[in-house]
Amino acid sequence: MEAARNYAIIDPATGKIDRRIFSDQAVYDDEMERIFGRAWLMIGHESLVPEPDDFFHTYMGEDPVILTRDGEGRLHALLNMCRHRGNRVCRADDGNAKRFMCTYHGWTYRNDGSLEHVPGESEAYYDALDRPKLGLIQARVETYAGIVFATWAEDAPSLEAYLGDARWYLDTAFNRRDGGMLALGPVKWLEPVNWKTMVDNCSDNYHVPTSHLSSARVQSRWLGRPRLSHEDQFASPNRHVFVNGHSITFREADDNAPRYVHGISNDTFKAFQDYHDATMPEAERRLGALRARKVQLGNHSIFPNGILGFRLALPRGPLKTEFWHFALLEKDAPEEIKRAMRVGSQANNGAAGLFEQDDVDNWRQVTEASTSRLARRLPQDLSMGIGHAGTHPDFPGVVSERYISENNQRLFYRRWEEFMNAESWADIALDPIKARFDGTATMRG
Amino acid sequence: MKPKSATAAAQQALWFELMQFYIREAWLLDERRLGEWLDLFTDDVLYFMPRRKNVLRRELHREITERGDLAILEEDKRYLEMRVARLDSGMAWAEDPPSRTRHLVGNLIATPLANGEVEVKTAFLVYRSHLETDHQLLSGCREDVLRPVEGGWKIAKRTIVLDANVLLDKNLSVFL
Repeated sequence: MEAARNYAIIDPATGKIDRRIFSDQAVYDDEMERIFGRAWLMIGHESLVPEPDDFFHTYMGEDPVILTRDGEGRLHALLNMCRHRGNRVCRADDGNAKRFMCTYHGWTYRNDGSLEHVPGESEAYYDALDRPKLGLIQARVETYAGIVFATWAEDAPSLEAYLGDARWYLDTAFNRRDGGMLALGPVKWLEPVNWKTMVDNCSDNYHVPTSHLSSARVQSRWLGRPRLSHEDQFASPNRHVFVNGHSITFREADDNAPRYVHGISNDTFKAFQDYHDATMPEAERRLGALRARKVQLGNHSIFPNGILGFRLALPRGPLKTEFWHFALLEKDAPEEIKRAMRVGSQANNGAAGLFEQDDVDNWRQVTEASTSRLARRLPQDLSMGIGHAGTHPDFPGVVSERYISENNQRLFYRRWEEFMNAESWADIALDPIKARFDGTATMRG
Repeated sequence: MKPKSATAAAQQALWFELMQFYIREAWLLDERRLGEWLDLFTDDVLYFMPRRKNVLRRELHREITERGDLAILEEDKRYLEMRVARLDSGMAWAEDPPSRTRHLVGNLIATPLANGEVEVKTAFLVYRSHLETDHQLLSGCREDVLRPVEGGWKIAKRTIVLDANVLLDKNLSVFL
């Protein structure tokens, strides 16, 4: 139970946001405790630790965590901190190890977290250590379609309830195939940006024609990809929907065209269309006809810091974020499709990605504006489309009337307030699962 | 002793020729003559920058990611042309105003191949200054395959291995 807080940082009537939440250290410290200490956080993917004793080093907020698969195949999220003095017990990014030894005094842990060996347990400690209670601190772990989530909160709801109806949309990208997904990466780099700006940008399709005009233009000319002009964006049939804390955009499609992923271009389009057609019966069986044929996930974020699929915005202080870029591919897709998606993914996103590199200075100056005397007093304006969102007969969540809207962003900051003000999980609302999950796909894939 | 010195002279001549090639390339990049820089690559070039991981010594064969894994860059000529064309659009915000760079290239080792191509390994330091106070130092090595063409060499394959794990740069918008 945490002390009550009274954050009121967004005015729902005007969309004005108090800019200090992007730079204030005390607010950031509260975020680490109240959001990153509570929420289900994406930390990895099962395919990053495919074999027994594999491990992948990751983070929950700023806390270093080792995602392990033990000898029996069970997943663990272990705080990478020796219980003796706090040194890390693992310094590699990934690998295969049955145990982790602290390099300070040699305390040694099994990859299920238990403390196996303490030098001098009798000779120095007089057998007085309660060794069974000194295992590495473990987070709760659950998976969704191979994506591994963890939480420190014992009172957190199930991951299924936490994702809620957002999964209805997420399934269309991550749960289409029987064979599941394969995660490649990550490319890691530091951006001088507050983490929330990266997350809220996932629903900001208004920025695309301006921020990314140069990339869209050359890709349209060289690769035959769409122009992404303002006219295109305003006329787009795509939709913008906030579901149980998560920000989703999706394409409402009934033209039997493949989902517009990285790597689709003039020369690969036929391969993607063939793959789409060949896998449609399987997708229909897994997702039902409505979702298989008509709903294609677009840009989205999973609260708090999951970005566009399985990518992470890891907070590193109010003014800094470590970005982890992964590519998530369908494991059983033909090599040609995988290759195109992998190459398209690095061309567009990642540290050197054509699209992603143009975001950074915009975001960083939005963050920086929160640090100077006058600028920090002037709120951000998120007023676009206020009063133009509601329920929809076919689609779960709060659906914006138009694709270009700031409704998801407003609701993201409302969700942020809810987490920040809550004394415990009992104060955090979850929408009941109401969507019809046709088909055989489940949380387990 | 004669044959040996003849070999040494040939090696020296090749080393000199290749260093000139890389020095010219560095100036093309630093003077932003990117159209001319593109001409240094063959049409079938692979421009590849794998990721570099922290792994234990016993797993060092996994330190540098292989092709097929997600790379920082895995580009063909068409993508490189696209990147260069983008910079001239007036709307490539990561590089408008552009970075100020200094490419220093050295430690050259050349290994001629049977087919006339030559494998060239060099080390680089690239300093990048951007906008008011942003600056980064990128260090790493290039492993190139140079192909002889009329009047000189072209880069048929470039693998850039950075020494960084988490890149400290806000983005990687300059060419290495």
